Amino acid sequence: MASNVFDRRRINGPQRSVEPLYTAKAAEPFANGRLDGRALDQVRPIFIKTGPLDAQSPSASAPSGSAYYEQGKIRVSCAIYGPRQGRQSNARMGSFDCDFKYAPFSCSWRLSHIKSSDEKEIALMLEHAIGPAIRLEAYPKASIDAFVTVIESDGKAATIAAAINCISAALADAGIELYDSVAACSMSMYGTQWVSDCSQAEENASTCSLLVSRMPSVDEITYLLQHGKTTPEMTTQAIQACSNDCTRVYAVICRYLQATLE
Amino acid sequence: MAESGQQVACAMQTFERLHPTEFQRRFLAQNTRHDGREFMQFRPVQVVKGAISTAQGSATVRVGNTTVVCGIKAEVCEPDVKRPTEGYLATNVELSPMCSAQFRAGAPSEEAQVASEHVHRLAGQMFDLTSLCIESGRAVWSLAADIVCIKHDGGILDAAVVALVAALEDLRLPKAELDLGTGMVSADRTMATHVGVGKRLFPATFALVDDAYVVADADDSEERMATASLLVVHDDRGRLVNVWKRGGGMLSSETIARCVQRARERMTEIAQTL
Repeated sequence: MASNVFDRRRINGPQRSVEPLYTAKAAEPFANGRLDGRALDQVRPIFIKTGPLDAQSPSASAPSGSAYYEQGKIRVSCAIYGPRQGRQSNARMGSFDCDFKYAPFSCSWRLSHIKSSDEKEIALMLEHAIGPAIRLEAYPKASIDAFVTVIESDGKAATIAAAINCISAALADAGIELYDSVAACSMSMYGTQWVSDCSQAEENASTCSLLVSRMPSVDEITYLLQHGKTTPEMTTQAIQACSNDCTRVYAVICRYLQATLE
Repeated sequence: MAESGQQVACAMQTFERLHPTEFQRRFLAQNTRHDGREFMQFRPVQVVKGAISTAQGSATVRVGNTTVVCGIKAEVCEPDVKRPTEGYLATNVELSPMCSAQFRAGAPSEEAQVASEHVHRLAGQMFDLTSLCIESGRAVWSLAADIVCIKHDGGILDAAVVALVAALEDLRLPKAELDLGTGMVSADRTMATHVGVGKRLFPATFALVDDAYVVADADDSEERMATASLLVVHDDRGRLVNVWKRGGGMLSSETIARCVQRARERMTEIAQTL
């Protein structure tokens, strides 16, 4: 259901509009295995491309690095601007800022144009997840900005993980100094079983979700978020499993980045 | 030899960065453009329809490097009392800070507002709103067509219009029925049908660069030094739908006639990709 806030600067539809009631029942997730036939610990296939938005000729308005990332149906695009002049002229460390936006058509429900608090929260999550990997002391007085647009999403936690992976690849493309690439992965719990990389339908049916972002080669977790009810043992077990997934995702990103150098 | 070639390339890049206007002039004076195109040559168009499963209709369009994605979301609402059979179509162009450093995050820039407004007017020309009627006076479809710019390299209006046409052609609305008792609309996804656009629109943009040269489909660096721009839109029968000249630069009526002629040729180029 879209809340149509009247906005003078945009073309507005009717004051109130709702989604129709869809008669066809959606298939029950986990009724017999996963909807797309994956194994429970299987991550959706990943496609990465760095530099789709980069300038062909030197131009001040083009980003210094960019990436396009797909994971199953999820499509995320990211552009990195900077290092460019920061707001604070005497800062000893550079600053890293993220901006996260869902395209209005990217979710199964319609989103408002105006940035929601949800998007602001995710932007902050991305900053926290990626920030520790950047050598900010190498960029005094500078700011590095990442702009992420979700073109299509399928599962909220998985979309955030995809955004983290996309920014990682874009930062590498921009030539920003990093300690390590950050790789992220998500899991949801269904019954007493953890399931990797859930789609929207699977996430809706689950009771608990976990997001882990990690720098695998230094073995450090940069961000961890768990929603819902579990036991400490279950969570510990899931963090371990999710970390392993991160390592697999990391391998895909690194293999791609290496191939671009050859 | 290779080394000196590299030096020349490097010097050229530095020159372009430091004196962008002078850099462009050197090419234009030689009757060519910095990307090797002729003055009246457009960039190639690529259209991919229906890639986004969360939207009822979608299209991705590339014009040279400019990339836009148009997605249409359909919802139901009550119609306006004065027009009981007409649905709604709201088109918005989103120029995010991702696509170019010239845009800021937050409220839409002036350029985005102008583009939204103009695309919306054109959409009213081509799309028959009565095709969105579910039950006269009670329920209609309300479409939200959002055109998100992924990469901005000039010619955003052209790309936006083509993307909107392609997305509307791709649009499939589920079969909807109004329950007169409860007033609720139920829709069957398995019985989705194409709505179809009334008429396709074919845009073409020309720019007057440096007050002297008329070029077709200017890219970002050329648009920056343009003093006037001319948008010509034809429909699929070759009739003029819209001519819009902006900016202070002077265009003679012969030049405009020449541009309109060239825009008609552009029609076939776009029609092949749709």
